[in-house]
Amino acid sequence: MATPEKEKELIAALQDAVIHYKVADAKKIAEEAVKAGADAYTMTMEGLAGGMETVSEKFDNHEYFVPETLLCAKALYSALDVLKPHIKTAEGQAKGQVVLGVMQGDVHDLGKNLIKAIFESAGWTVHDLGRDVPIQKFVEEQLRTDSDIVMLSAMMTTSMVGMKKLIPMIKEKNPKVQIMIGGAPISEKTVEEYGADSTADNAPNALREAMEMLEQLRKGMPTG
Amino acid sequence: MDHTIIFQPSGRRARVPDGTIILDAARKLGVGIEAVCGENMVCGKCRVKIMEGSFPKEGITSSMSHTSHADEKEMKVLKKKETDANIRLACVATVTGDLLVFVPEASRTGQQIVSKAAGTIKVKIKPAVTKVYVELSPPSLEDPYGDLERLEQALEKTHKLKKLTMDYRVLQALPDVLRMGDWKVTVTVWHKKEIIRVEPGWVETNVGLAVDIGTTTVAGYLTDLNTGEVLATESMMNPQVRYGEDVMSRITYCMLNEETGLKELQDTIVEGLNTIAKNAAKKAGISPEDISEMALVGNTAMHHILLGINPEHIGVAPFAPALHKSADVKAERFGIEILPSGNIHVLPIEAGFVGADNMGCLLADTPHKREAMTLLIDIGTNGELVLGNKEKLISCSCATGPALEGAQIAFGIRAAPGAIERIRVDKDTLEPTYQVIGNESWSDGQTNMQARGICGSAIIDAIAEMFKAGIIKKNGQVNMALETPRLRKDDKGLAEYVIAWKHETAIDEDIVVNQKDIRAIQLAKGALYSGCQIMMRKLGIKAFDRLAVAGAFGSHIDKVQAMVMGMYPDCDLDKVIFIGNAAGDGARIALVNVDKRNEANRLATKVEYVELALEEDFNDRFGEAMQFPHMFDKFPHIEHLLPREEAVRA
Repeated sequence: MATPEKEKELIAALQDAVIHYKVADAKKIAEEAVKAGADAYTMTMEGLAGGMETVSEKFDNHEYFVPETLLCAKALYSALDVLKPHIKTAEGQAKGQVVLGVMQGDVHDLGKNLIKAIFESAGWTVHDLGRDVPIQKFVEEQLRTDSDIVMLSAMMTTSMVGMKKLIPMIKEKNPKVQIMIGGAPISEKTVEEYGADSTADNAPNALREAMEMLEQLRKGMPTG
Repeated sequence: MDHTIIFQPSGRRARVPDGTIILDAARKLGVGIEAVCGENMVCGKCRVKIMEGSFPKEGITSSMSHTSHADEKEMKVLKKKETDANIRLACVATVTGDLLVFVPEASRTGQQIVSKAAGTIKVKIKPAVTKVYVELSPPSLEDPYGDLERLEQALEKTHKLKKLTMDYRVLQALPDVLRMGDWKVTVTVWHKKEIIRVEPGWVETNVGLAVDIGTTTVAGYLTDLNTGEVLATESMMNPQVRYGEDVMSRITYCMLNEETGLKELQDTIVEGLNTIAKNAAKKAGISPEDISEMALVGNTAMHHILLGINPEHIGVAPFAPALHKSADVKAERFGIEILPSGNIHVLPIEAGFVGADNMGCLLADTPHKREAMTLLIDIGTNGELVLGNKEKLISCSCATGPALEGAQIAFGIRAAPGAIERIRVDKDTLEPTYQVIGNESWSDGQTNMQARGICGSAIIDAIAEMFKAGIIKKNGQVNMALETPRLRKDDKGLAEYVIAWKHETAIDEDIVVNQKDIRAIQLAKGALYSGCQIMMRKLGIKAFDRLAVAGAFGSHIDKVQAMVMGMYPDCDLDKVIFIGNAAGDGARIALVNVDKRNEANRLATKVEYVELALEEDFNDRFGEAMQFPHMFDKFPHIEHLLPREEAVRA
């Protein structure tokens, strides 16, 4: 077992590696943490997710943009790959589950990948369907996994149009499921028009939205 | 309650209070609408079209019911046909809901400066349409042979033209024309195959029209088919702009309005082409009917829509076009008002997003005939890249978005009088100075320059200059630590840099470049740069010999600034050449030389298309290329211009 001091030091080092996108360092520190017997779950949540929280703040105040966030996500994954096998299932229990994918006809998955990184770092289980996903696949995956939230991404207006058809299909099978949509052409109006539940203009905001949705769901209240 | 109002084609938008008069909203946004009579509902110059329907790209649903009702006085000015077409007078109609307002060309103040001027082309004159003169012996009782056969005989005898078919309209007029010309006629022949016109007497005039349908601008070059000389150039904003600024939103319009969308868009562009044909013919002193052929380029979506082919499938992956080959369709089929039996020749398509416009660029720049390795960048609303030489060519398309053209930029406007076109920033004082289109002198911070906004070339200038002066950091973040009144945060906390103070402008507002603008440019230039990079990797090359930049807007940008910003990879600046509207030049080449049409068809199947989004490393390369000038790549040729490199974390 690592001493509390050592754990603290490792957490700070992991945070720093994620925030300053030091990919190689992140992996090294994670390995060191495993060797020192530090708790993998604490390392993930406080080190990696903690670091990603700062990244979100930096994105919000325009200090970071897509390139930095991509690199941060990379650093995060390099450490997460090392830590994940050591997380005990009970504590690693997911906060929530999402089905995530890029709409049919669209192969732009940069935004989707950022969402995935942020959600995974925050302890969510992400069922990533990839890109150019046939719409039926979203419905099936939601039913199979009983996920709380379905997140649909589209970069082009042409692929966004498919959401109009897909959202009622998901809601019909499971009225409780929450649907978040995102991507360049999507606005609050789209949410309203297509009958989705929310949107967010970047990954950190999406996570905040999702947390709220989850809370409402668990309370058994409808979300607005 | 506030509503959203968006003006097209300028794309400017705002939230305005309920009851705002449309003209007032336009003025506030710097959208020029004519209002000669001083808002007295007399001149009718301020006619605008209220768009009906849902516009997902804009995020609004616009409707006639979102404006005040027209009163009797307004109805008097407008014709029934106009009110049926949702035309309103901007000086009285008020905003009562979300609106998308299209300002027709005739209502716009400030003529746009369209720089789709014709370039010099070197090509052998060998048009598809030729005119030949024949003299026939008149029929007699001894020789009562038919008119058509008589003409056929003469054509074979004098010009060795055999087995020609004849357009039926020509046939209908034939007996009269032959007699009117006293059996001496000029025959217009298409591809040595079909007779498309017979005129009495000797006619030398042989004219065609080359057209480039851009997403934003349409340009037509009336060309003498005997000499290749351009007789008149006409251009206009693509009237389809009111259905959406980019290709994707127009395709979406067709998808959402299954019954009518495609037809509406097709009719709109046909009307535009007719205007161009009519005006160009008038300039050259001929009739539109004297135009015997039209050669046309455009991106794949413009191409499909003109031909009336559903563009839905090129809008979604795998983006397969309906056809690659060139096509010939009779003008009357679409109602294009040139010689009705004349043809519209549409150049071939390379791939879903590399269209006939790119083929035009290839015909004009001929990278496929060169030993030298060429990187060709065609900057439009969509960026298209071609890399290679006579051995092999590959192409790709990058979604640059309209930011580089000044759209989606807070104070972005198109190149027109009042647009800021050049910007310099002093490294020490952090003070900018700029030039406005239509005014030679540089601004001094005091004089009212009547500035209205910033056009594409100046956006690149602004970003490059701000980066050089340290106002923008390598990662695109505005450096708020610098001390200057020009740097501040708006009420939403967004960092901005003031280019022109309120008293220097004609819009009663400071003109700024904000953090969001910078991000939009980062995405656009990142897409272009990473496209170049991936293509170079695909061909296994580290450098190229020529960098040809095409596009109407291309010729206005400063190649040094563009490189400072990292729009394309480092190279000797002498290798960077601007080839102007190469797509339009290519259309002219195909118009005057049939061999080039065959060449284009061969080339279309030879150019290999690379789908960038499918490349494993695309997201990484794209991300890296978003920084200024690049996250890792070095720029030895302009290093002296760059700010002292910040510590780069590798």
